[in-house]
Amino acid sequence: MMLLEHDAKELLAADGVPVPAGVLATAADVELPASLAGPWMVKAQVPVGGRGKAGGIKRADTIAELGQTLGVLLGKTIKGQAVRACRIEQCVEGMECYLSVSLDASRGRLRVLLSSQGGVDVEAQAGRVLSAEVALAQRETIDAASRLADTIASPARATMVRAAERLIAMFFEFEATLLEVNPLFIRPNGSWVAGDLKLVIDDNALVRQPRLRDLIQRRADAYPDIALKMNHGFDFVVVDPDGEIGLVTTGAGLSMQMLDELAERGHPAFNFCDIRTGQLRGDPTRLIHVFRWIAAGRRVRSVLINFFAGITHLGEVAHLLVAALKAVPELRVPVTARLIGNGYDEAIAVFAAASNPLRVEPDLDRAIELALAPLTGARP
Amino acid sequence: MTAHVPFVAPDVETIIQGMTGRTGRRHAQLMRAYGTRIVAGVSPKSDSDEVDGVPVFKNCIEAVAATGAAASVAMVPPLAVLAAVREAVAAGIKLIVTIAEGMPVRDAVAALELVRAAGVRWVGPSTPGLAIPGRLKLGFLPDVSLAPGPLGIMAKSGTLSYEVCHRLVGRGLGQSLWVGVGGDTVKGTRFADILPCMLTDPHTHGIVVIGEIGGSEEEELAAAMRAHRCGKPVYALIAGRTAREGITMGHAGAMIAGDVGTIASKTQALAGAGAQVFTRIRDLVDAVASGIGTAKGNNTCS
Repeated sequence: MMLLEHDAKELLAADGVPVPAGVLATAADVELPASLAGPWMVKAQVPVGGRGKAGGIKRADTIAELGQTLGVLLGKTIKGQAVRACRIEQCVEGMECYLSVSLDASRGRLRVLLSSQGGVDVEAQAGRVLSAEVALAQRETIDAASRLADTIASPARATMVRAAERLIAMFFEFEATLLEVNPLFIRPNGSWVAGDLKLVIDDNALVRQPRLRDLIQRRADAYPDIALKMNHGFDFVVVDPDGEIGLVTTGAGLSMQMLDELAERGHPAFNFCDIRTGQLRGDPTRLIHVFRWIAAGRRVRSVLINFFAGITHLGEVAHLLVAALKAVPELRVPVTARLIGNGYDEAIAVFAAASNPLRVEPDLDRAIELALAPLTGARP
Repeated sequence: MTAHVPFVAPDVETIIQGMTGRTGRRHAQLMRAYGTRIVAGVSPKSDSDEVDGVPVFKNCIEAVAATGAAASVAMVPPLAVLAAVREAVAAGIKLIVTIAEGMPVRDAVAALELVRAAGVRWVGPSTPGLAIPGRLKLGFLPDVSLAPGPLGIMAKSGTLSYEVCHRLVGRGLGQSLWVGVGGDTVKGTRFADILPCMLTDPHTHGIVVIGEIGGSEEEELAAAMRAHRCGKPVYALIAGRTAREGITMGHAGAMIAGDVGTIASKTQALAGAGAQVFTRIRDLVDAVASGIGTAKGNNTCS
């Protein structure tokens, strides 16, 4: 997961990484602390690369300009992500360098990139970016960065090496898979500042990263998907707040494919869901949560359940579905269930006995048609 | 034609690491019922020296020494996977399947270094496992989707491959070998690693690839198809068209970052290497049925 720049900076600043002084603003009429004098950079907080080129980073010289810029950026959508907050920070000057450490997943090794000419167009000057590949080990990575820094003229070289040491230590401390600083400002007085900072962390390592867990809990509004996973143990992502079909699905790949197939038929789904039926273990709690979250979708008009149960018995699943639907009376739209696996007949019997209005269908394409019928007015 | 080296021998003697746990015991029973030769279990904490008639040892070294097993299925929690791989490799296991979802990337890199140094094949993490239908199942691929047949299956997603294979089996098309590589970024076996086995296997007449957004595995597979002059038809389904950049879709590896990992990049690479790429399950199933249904037994493999 990519941390928002603001959070990555606050996190690393607490461990001695110098960053420009800044605050987070969620409204245009922000009150700045007196110490935060202009000019400022106003930076949209969205978890994507290329924000600058996409118009998400603006300079403001006066308070009036600042309010205006915030007004433009807040509510804007960048690469499909709504801008809910901006980081306002003091402009910094200095020599613009570049440093990144990233995990090459296919090789299981780290790539260190370093350049004395950073900035927005660093990708365009590939020839000037130095690169080294190393094993996933802190000392080796720092040594590799130091060697790459040899090409930088003194005295900036020594500063770059110090910056690389601190940043690479952070990369390992937080089990990151990407840490990119661009620009990395190096100043004549030997100080350095992380101008922009991109940090991608390993979701699977959160269990042993208490500071990252704490950050996500504190900022759950900014990281709803991962916070939900931490608190509930499964995945549920609102993909389109205006989506008309709620999905109750198990398996990430199949859920993604369902989103695609529905979108192709012209009906974007409300959510992605990997409930993991194998982990339900006789408890309808996860299903109740999912039904509630879907019921909150303002335009949801149909719910499609798709469980391809490898091991889980469908009779047990049916009991849980009946209990969960009963617990969520606010879900008033038609529910279609596509069930496949052992115990299909028993599941049908359970639904019949519960006089549940749920429609069951073993074929996925036909289940999709049934679920779309309330939206299209077609008779399935 | 290169001599065929099977991905795994169908009669391989197998141990289960973590067999006395709830999940391990249940899946060991199911694998045995399928025909897999489960010869031992490993459980450091168990007091019992057998479970369901299978001997249980304190560690892999003892289990391998007593049984000569060459494969292991690790049914241990995510933070215990690295230690399980280390133990299996030290005991001389040649193929290890790790089921658990949620293995930290650092641990996966360390495990990868271990298996590479020892020449061990690792399938996982976060995989439903692999199967040679009718003969061997290491993991928990569902029986309803398994049947002997002409297709080689490689899949990042468990459930999506269950769905696709279930439909193909309904059309009379089973599998020669099915390998779930898992949805993580760092993993033991990648699509491209499986390709040579499927290309030389005389029982494999077509290859079905279940990919998804994120990472570069589909692109690596495309490069391998070119390098091996792939002469067998390849059918690919790639999930995640509707995903947005920066959002992880359930699988740790399913995240688009910049231009890497997009549907466009994967589709272009695979199609450029001669694969047929689909967006709907139904279309893929129809194409495989008409392609392999007629070409079976009349195949020119390189």
